[in-house]
Amino acid sequence: MPVTKVLTAGIGEADLRNIDVYRERGGYRQWERAVRELKPGDVLDLAEKSGLRGRGGAGFPTGKKWSFLPAEKPLRYLVCNCDEAEPGTFKDHMLIAEAPHLVLEGILLGSYGIECHHAFIYIRGEFKRGYEIFSAALDEARKAGFVGDDLFGSGFNLEVTVQRGAGAYICGEETGLLNSLEGKRGEPRLKPPFPAIEGLYGMPTVVNNVETLAYLVPILEKGAEWFASVGTERSKGYKIVSVSGHVQRPGNYEVALGTTVREIIDIAGGLRPGRNLMAVQPGGGSSACIFEEQLDLPYDYENMAKAGSMLGSGAFVVFDDSTDFVKAAHNLVRFFAHESCGQCTPCREGGHWLERVLERLVHGRGVSGDYEMLLRVSGGITGLNLCALGDSIEPFLKSVLLRFPEQFRARVLKAKETVPV
Amino acid sequence: MNVNLTIDGVPVSVPKGTWLVEAAKTVQQEIPVYCYHTKLGPAGLCRVCLVDIEGMPKLQIACNTPAAEGMVVRTRGARVEAGRAMILELLLVNHPLDCPICDKGGECDLQDYAMAYARGNSDVVDPKTRKPKAVDLGPTIVLDEERCVVCQRCVRFDDIIADERQLVVKDRGAHDIIATATGSPYRHNFTGNVTELCPVGALTSKTYRFKSRPWDLNRTQTTCTQCAVGCQQFADVRYGTLLRTMSVENDDAISDGWLCDRGRYNIGFYASPDRLTQPLYRKGGSFVQIGWDDAFALWGKAITDAIAAKGTPSVGAIGGGRLTNEEAYVLQYLFRKIGVANLDWRSGRQRQATPGANGGALTDIELAQAIVIAGESIEERAPVLWLRVRKAALRGGATVVHAATPAEAVAALPAGATRVALVWDGIDLARGRAFADAFAGVAELSTYVASEQGNARGAEAMGMLPWSGPGYAAARARGRDAAGMFEDARNGSLAVLSMFGVNPVRNAADGAAVAQALVKVPFVVVSELFLTETADRATLVLPAKGAFEKTGTTLNLAGDLLPVNAAVQAPDGVLSDLEMLLGLAAQLDVDLPRAEELDATVIEHMAHAPEDFGFGDSRFASDVASVPEDVPPATILSGGGTWRHDPTLATLQVETPSSQPVGATA
Ligand SMILES: Cc1cc2nc3c(=O)[nH]c(=O)nc-3n(C[C@H](O)[C@H](O)[C@H](O)COP(=O)(O)O)c2cc1C
Ligand code: SF4
Ligand code: SF4
Ligand code: SF4
Ligand code: FES
Repeated sequence: MPVTKVLTAGIGEADLRNIDVYRERGGYRQWERAVRELKPGDVLDLAEKSGLRGRGGAGFPTGKKWSFLPAEKPLRYLVCNCDEAEPGTFKDHMLIAEAPHLVLEGILLGSYGIECHHAFIYIRGEFKRGYEIFSAALDEARKAGFVGDDLFGSGFNLEVTVQRGAGAYICGEETGLLNSLEGKRGEPRLKPPFPAIEGLYGMPTVVNNVETLAYLVPILEKGAEWFASVGTERSKGYKIVSVSGHVQRPGNYEVALGTTVREIIDIAGGLRPGRNLMAVQPGGGSSACIFEEQLDLPYDYENMAKAGSMLGSGAFVVFDDSTDFVKAAHNLVRFFAHESCGQCTPCREGGHWLERVLERLVHGRGVSGDYEMLLRVSGGITGLNLCALGDSIEPFLKSVLLRFPEQFRARVLKAKETVPV
Repeated sequence: MNVNLTIDGVPVSVPKGTWLVEAAKTVQQEIPVYCYHTKLGPAGLCRVCLVDIEGMPKLQIACNTPAAEGMVVRTRGARVEAGRAMILELLLVNHPLDCPICDKGGECDLQDYAMAYARGNSDVVDPKTRKPKAVDLGPTIVLDEERCVVCQRCVRFDDIIADERQLVVKDRGAHDIIATATGSPYRHNFTGNVTELCPVGALTSKTYRFKSRPWDLNRTQTTCTQCAVGCQQFADVRYGTLLRTMSVENDDAISDGWLCDRGRYNIGFYASPDRLTQPLYRKGGSFVQIGWDDAFALWGKAITDAIAAKGTPSVGAIGGGRLTNEEAYVLQYLFRKIGVANLDWRSGRQRQATPGANGGALTDIELAQAIVIAGESIEERAPVLWLRVRKAALRGGATVVHAATPAEAVAALPAGATRVALVWDGIDLARGRAFADAFAGVAELSTYVASEQGNARGAEAMGMLPWSGPGYAAARARGRDAAGMFEDARNGSLAVLSMFGVNPVRNAADGAAVAQALVKVPFVVVSELFLTETADRATLVLPAKGAFEKTGTTLNLAGDLLPVNAAVQAPDGVLSDLEMLLGLAAQLDVDLPRAEELDATVIEHMAHAPEDFGFGDSRFASDVASVPEDVPPATILSGGGTWRHDPTLATLQVETPSSQPVGATA
């Protein structure tokens, strides 16, 4: 299956940051139609029927998430999550920087769908350029009458606020994000209550990923059936896959869900000549590796889960036979330990401990028992954490420990060598 | 509505929504916790409270899982034990394990749970992370960052109980530390509570560091007498020295489980070298030490001679607010027996301590929709009462009103408020009456007087008022109040004045005038722990026991009868006020009631609910019309002046008025 450009259509060809260009290509028409002709419930219906699932990592059905908002509480918020810090993910930044109006239109449609009058977009601190581009687009849209009060004379008001983060991965976790947005320390909240019940400033809140919201635009334009007709049984529509690692043409590729893993590698130009594939991490730093024998699996939520991994945010990292998996594992575990907010014991202490043991191994100063400790402790902390970050430490590490044990064992000092550190 | 579930096979029925950790307590199953605390609620941070719930794929945290109908919960079993062992192993990875020099050793939840649930060995081969140790957090507390398990109880206490938000978590991940948000010293009225909340030895009290081991402590439960709240507390004594006081966690009715820093830390004065240990008699210009027999003889003779020469109006006694009920009772009993009617506890600015009709229980404050503070701020006068007011505001949504006039207070009430708590300082009767009148129509009004002295209300109930005997029964003869006695003194008509635990030279509205008046009294007796401004002007100074050295009862501002229990031995040569009164009674040939009679009498008079008066009743009015307006009042700190003799408190107590001016609206 080839690349299909839906959200990515026009990127690199036209200046989509220009509101006129965007409008010439049909931009904001769905927004106007929604406000003029549709009821919020219709938008929710479309989201539900399209089978759209969250593109931020958890893959939660979008329409269902919206339906959790308590009807009796009219004050509610939509928050667009553009913290994008998952290792290997770089699609949301592209969208806000290259197609800011599309993202904004998605936010507007989502807000209408849940009947909220104030939406926020939380942009990762490092995305300065994307922030500037998006803010400019928002100003233009406001001038054009797409954001503000009494939109299209309908009496519907909608304000959008842009907020920059300070570059913490944990502020991408939805409740960490909400805390940060409120000006508090960026650490996840204890759930329940879930954001749909008590979110931003204690009000019912929907947090959706940039890509998720952006897909609302083509879904409104072409219909829920169009979206639902693509993909596999429980993974509908398209997905932007951020392919990186040992491929010849890394980049963002939009494909129908269900395209095989092998096809995605090929779309990205395949491996470098003379190299063999060792592993693919299909769903971001939090996902386990899949291997050679799993390359023909369809790339969708169910099959990645069945293979013991996940589709996650669509960050697709390819490893060839030049990979030092001890270093790779150390790199990822160090990332999680560094980004741990430190609230809960398993993630704070476990991540840090694993990182230090891996660091020793990277430098060839392992001791006997390290290999077993890595397996035991990474497995032991999983499932005990307050948020999903802590549970993200094990999958990659475990998958490469089991697949490439010799790479780890080779780093253990022999008995006659000196004591560690 | 109750739900039925089983915990370790035992059927349990608890109200819907009860956290499993609380439900398990009802069947005596221990679930270990670090971050959870009954008064702070769940935080879900430490993850040690893991339980196995049938039908759930993962272990769940008992602190944040509500009991549900039909739930099958296991607090033991291989899965639970593996999870807990993992958490403890992780907590110990970077823990310094310096138990031998840690104050918490022996009462540490990390030690206890590690013994109970951990593996007993470790795979750690790397060095532990280093963090700052012995961080001087503020005047009261030292923090060891390495021992911290980041349960955030201290941070949450500061936020949701004290409403101070000084303590925060700084940095991230394994490098996080506890610190004050601004970097300035950690300092407010309730800091010491975090040392008790801290499950490990990270937060320790400066006053207790390196002083003892818990197994060397003798523990006595008693009542804090430093203000009129009457918080229950444990007095921990090592080899005869009072080393610390600790809160009583289930004391929901009085302290709600907290202590203020004064109640907790102002205890060093018991061992102060400044303490009086022998009666002092003024000869010529200076004091000489005398024995108790001589002291009683001189005292008794002075009274007998005065009555013979000038009649009973020439004799008076002031005190009661710092005595036990039993002592206050015996004090008025003895003097009334010999015909003396000049009796009063009110040596300071306060006129009234008993709220009368509408007096409420402390817990009623939490039900109030509005809490009106009429008069001085209660933060200094009754610190832990202030915590309860904050609780009502923070969690019950009550409005706290500091108002200069009743009209302002009424205007600040939330619409339709039917439950109001009114707290008054008991100083200005007209103001008290005006506020009470303004709220008379409120359906559920509960009133409180935040007194300057711990047992002020007890003194009134025991009859230390010039117009009433025990149980507020009208006295046979009406005497002069304290201000009246000082006026008599100035006129030269007062011959013997006996004062017990009062310091009017410092605390009366016009202390300087009191000082001048005392010069004119031929025989002034002062029972005190220290040579206070007043004692220094006495003819006879009697060294007294403090509250931790005697046994009796006290009556707090809400009318709760509370036990005072001796925890330490007083220095040799020091007597309680009761023992002094016994000595005096022998000189005056008065038979005092026996101990059992006394207990029964006290309880009987306590039971008298004084219903026939309210705030500002005219009977509490002063014999002396006016008090000069331009004299600045001394601050009434709970604990009185004792803190000046407690070197560890030098930085904590500031003798400047910190009471909020009347008129500030919260
Ligand atoms: C540690 C962590 C980091 C996350 N980072 C992001 C992120 O950067 N962007 C994002 O959209 N979702 C992120 N998520 C997922 C969000 O919590 C949330 O599920 C998502 O924003 C929901 O949007 P969706 O339903 O549209 O996918 C993260 C989750 C975790 C646990
Ligand atoms: S799992 Fe990690 S990031 Fe998540 S709350 Fe716990 S310490 Fe923070
Ligand atoms: S200092 Fe004590 S109470 Fe505070 S977070 Fe650390 S362990 Fe918990
Ligand atoms: S001084 Fe008052 S508030 Fe403080 S601990 Fe003692 S009784 Fe409680
Ligand atoms: S007590 Fe439950 S997580 Fe800490």
